[in-house]
Amino acid sequence: MIEREVLELDVLFVGAGPASLAGAVHLQRLLRESGQDASVGVLEKASEVGAHSLSGAIVDPRALRELFPDKNDQDFPFEAEVSEEHLYYLTETRKIPFPFIPPSMNHHGCYVASLGKLTRWLGEACEKDGVDIFCGFAGTELLYDGDQVIGVRTGDRGIDKKGVQKQHFEPGADIHAKVVVLGEGTRGSLTKKLLHRHNLMDERNPQVWAVGVKELWQMPAGIVQPGYVAHTMGFPLGHDIFGGAFLYGMKNDIWNLGLVVGLDYKNPGVDSHHELQNLKTHPWIRSLIEGGKMVAYGAKSLPEGGWYSIPKLSISGAMLIGDSAGFMNGQRLKGIHLAMKSGMLAAETISKALAENNFTESKLGDYEDRMKSSWIRDELWKVRNFHQGFDHGLFGGLTNAGIGLLTGGRGWGFKNRLTSEPGHLQLEKGLKKDRYKDLKFDGTYLFDKVTDVYHSATAHEEDQVPHLHVNEPDICITKCAEEYDNPCKNFCPANVFEMVPDGENQRLQINFSNCVHCKTCDIMDPYQIIDWVPPEGGDGPTWINL
Amino acid sequence: MKIAVLVKQIPGSESALPISGNHNWIDEGQVSFVMNPPDNFALEEALLIKERRGDGEVVIVSMGPARVQKVIREGLAKGADWGIYLEEDGPIETDPLSIAKSFSSVLKNENFDLVLTGLQSDDTGMGQTGVLIGEMLGMSTGTLAMETDVQNGSIRVKRELESGWFQWVKLPMPASISIQSGLNTPRYPSLRGIMGAKKKEIKVVPASEYQSIAKSQSIEKIFVPQTSKQTEVIEGDADSAVARIVEILKSEIKVL
Amino acid sequence: MDILVVLEDNRGSLHRMSKEAIAGAQKMGGSVSALAIGSNADALSGKLSGVDLTEVITVNHDLVSSYNADGYSEVVKQVIESESPKTVVIGHSYQTRDFIPRVSAKLDIPFIPDIISLEDGFVKQVLNAKLNASVTTSADQVILSFQSAMFSEEAMASGSCSSRSFDVNLDSSMVRAESEEPFQEAAGSVDLESAELLVSIGRGIEKEENIQMAFDLAKVLGAEVSASRPVVDSGWVEPFRQIGSSGQTVSPKLYFSLGISGAIQHVVGMKGSKNILAINKDPDAPIFEIADYAVVGDLLDIIPKLIEALQTEKDL
Repeated sequence: MIEREVLELDVLFVGAGPASLAGAVHLQRLLRESGQDASVGVLEKASEVGAHSLSGAIVDPRALRELFPDKNDQDFPFEAEVSEEHLYYLTETRKIPFPFIPPSMNHHGCYVASLGKLTRWLGEACEKDGVDIFCGFAGTELLYDGDQVIGVRTGDRGIDKKGVQKQHFEPGADIHAKVVVLGEGTRGSLTKKLLHRHNLMDERNPQVWAVGVKELWQMPAGIVQPGYVAHTMGFPLGHDIFGGAFLYGMKNDIWNLGLVVGLDYKNPGVDSHHELQNLKTHPWIRSLIEGGKMVAYGAKSLPEGGWYSIPKLSISGAMLIGDSAGFMNGQRLKGIHLAMKSGMLAAETISKALAENNFTESKLGDYEDRMKSSWIRDELWKVRNFHQGFDHGLFGGLTNAGIGLLTGGRGWGFKNRLTSEPGHLQLEKGLKKDRYKDLKFDGTYLFDKVTDVYHSATAHEEDQVPHLHVNEPDICITKCAEEYDNPCKNFCPANVFEMVPDGENQRLQINFSNCVHCKTCDIMDPYQIIDWVPPEGGDGPTWINL
Repeated sequence: MKIAVLVKQIPGSESALPISGNHNWIDEGQVSFVMNPPDNFALEEALLIKERRGDGEVVIVSMGPARVQKVIREGLAKGADWGIYLEEDGPIETDPLSIAKSFSSVLKNENFDLVLTGLQSDDTGMGQTGVLIGEMLGMSTGTLAMETDVQNGSIRVKRELESGWFQWVKLPMPASISIQSGLNTPRYPSLRGIMGAKKKEIKVVPASEYQSIAKSQSIEKIFVPQTSKQTEVIEGDADSAVARIVEILKSEIKVL
Repeated sequence: MDILVVLEDNRGSLHRMSKEAIAGAQKMGGSVSALAIGSNADALSGKLSGVDLTEVITVNHDLVSSYNADGYSEVVKQVIESESPKTVVIGHSYQTRDFIPRVSAKLDIPFIPDIISLEDGFVKQVLNAKLNASVTTSADQVILSFQSAMFSEEAMASGSCSSRSFDVNLDSSMVRAESEEPFQEAAGSVDLESAELLVSIGRGIEKEENIQMAFDLAKVLGAEVSASRPVVDSGWVEPFRQIGSSGQTVSPKLYFSLGISGAIQHVVGMKGSKNILAINKDPDAPIFEIADYAVVGDLLDIIPKLIEALQTEKDL
């Protein structure tokens, strides 16, 4: 029987991202205003706030303005207001500007930002407000009383790679909370369990995902214009893979260059890291990074499903916010403002629940009602069929989106709701098409995966059980090898999965220490046997301004 | 028993390290900061000494810009009792004598029985602060302690010597000891520890109270190590490769 | 005098780093003297009679018959006060770290440690050897310690020198430590960072059965064994042998890599090595970019033959 520390809190947010932090700040304000006293904590698996935060990003300041009505936009930790924006269609060598930028892709009035910087700033605001942020603690299990969530258990530390307790073994703690708010970000691990146990995706479209991979480039002074925004479609993904590139000008002469790749492609050989390298072979892109130095790399998945993929948002004792709940506007490429707003709405419900000491499903369901009558709904409703249109390729998707603009979001002009299939089921068995045979890594502008991973500054306690649980490893060397040629080695942007020779055969090697916590493997493995769980607290990337 | 643990906040080793515009340090705006890993061992040793004795006071001391208060609070979360923060305005000091004089002027009034430091800081790596302070405050000194044994009025330390040799030395307290990394396993802070750290005191000492000490050495510039390497390529069959290798080992690298 | 080299007694003989320090001092130019302390001072001085030095100063007092920080630092302080060297030079050993800062504080003379080059100010490694720093001083006198193998003991210029004993003023209240006899302990794990020679194993070793040949090679060279990540991950060697960003960082005199490709995560842990000899089948292996000697070939063929050849050399 392991003895665990038990901590009693009133409200526990899991994940120190924009949703939880905005929620915590807002909650503290509401509690102060209503004269209530409650203990609010935030659990964060990274060793510091912001270390696991990654986005593009272009932020709509709407939620921040609501959260801090006394502040001006200049007070927020943005890089720059969007100063110019471009939308291009790329071929292998050319760049063709779109004749006009559709209003939904218009980022006027928004700000180029680093999510890492933003969350650090929000984290400071939280701590000033008396919220405890527990960094280096991963939430690994939900605690229940019957069907009511009553808390979260944090991960044990000090267990070796064989599962045996080491000398400095420290059991995880049980944090009891009246409300647990899951703001774990994309494909949250506790969220996954909650969705499953309580059937929260019933009657919803399955969530569909994309992965964003990016590099930061340090340029010589004077080249980068902060606030510069460009998005592209076409090369290198082509018409059959959803996604496109982004290029944002940051402060300090940094180019923020990335690629979003939909995780519903057919070719098991697709490798988002390699696609990003291919992007840099385009003469225009290459000219932009000429003379620069790559200083950081990272990847993160994104929930693209939109409105119809949002689960039921609460059960007794627990709520879902931010990317964990799928609040992302795929068309505008923005989710941070929605995440923050969802956290704030959750806080409003929680404040009431605390006053009445009622944390049942029906009471917490008030959050979903608030959400449905908020601008979150207004915004997401209009683009509710955006991603689904791309099932018919690039032009189909653009057409669908275009018609959607005219019909207030209807799919193909008249359908209220398009359905979608889970992305991992789209992989085509036996399809072998090498997209990268001409790709050469020069080590200066194009990097192999291992070199890029080094620049994500990711580190894990080496002597622990790998946190990527492959539940039926036999499938890897038999069925999967045959049907898909082990796509894990391709879809993981961090070289975690490798098939290595084992005598005459092969075996799966898991280089878990490279993991950047993007969750692509959990999403994309065709047999759904990979379960991503948090490694020891504090492990993972050390992103500064990603 | 009053123990001071000097901790330094340094750039995390996981970060890439961009050199600053004036080339005399790194661009701090682009790195993450952590507690100097050797200091973590010193802190753990102090906490263990306190626990073994059943009493005592462990005080975290650090100097630097505002961000270093984070490592002081980390120490408090792990079990230290209170902290002293020497405010530094301007670029970080790198001259060991200046640093030691600054610390000494603040520490001398506190009458510590023990001052523990890590074996060196992983940023500048001067490795002297603990011993300098010991001399300045008239304390006995010891370094690279692999084991400590506090007795009445004295401390025995197992010094690490080179090549697998060790030596026990008994020093009267007050003593300044540098701790060898790896002698213990630093604990993680508990959740309660993190919550409790907020309530512990950090005494702030403004720069004006201890600074204006003349520097005796400084880092003029930082640069990427150049490898003016000529690579000799050896191809051909195994026998000729072996012959060439033996020649290299014998006459060029001279390790035979 | 221009330069005073403080010597270290390594259980009766002159520490290798002291000889290197003499070589370095001689290169710096000017008049060079040395200081030997302890019960073996005269013997050490005798060993240097054929070396080009002005003189060797010897101090043999009861209170410093064997090393202690209080006594040695006081002795060096008094010698510096008497002889006024511009520069004091010493090898950067564990003992140096233990007592030289005391001298620095006693005399308010800056101590610049662990120097790797004198070509651009005083150059030392910083930030885990990822970068170098050029350190300068405005003081009239300075104490420098040289990193192991920065200079070569073979480069000690010969000549002749005399010996002179120096009387120090010590009383027992100054020496507070009670030191016991040094003893040896079998290390649980080897400190790779202090190993002079490393044989390092990479994936190119192919199978667990082949690991032994790397250990055999290490034995005949008197080297320690280290490895890259994949070898450790496969469980073929102990984790403490891992070199790289998630292992140890080393800069030995010789880094002999066998079948290591040279991925950046590994290279950052060893690129400061003074001599890199790499064997790899792949002529494009990134390790060759930082190697001094690039052997393109099959290590499984080469190593057994190399071991034999080295054994023969040894027997000669």
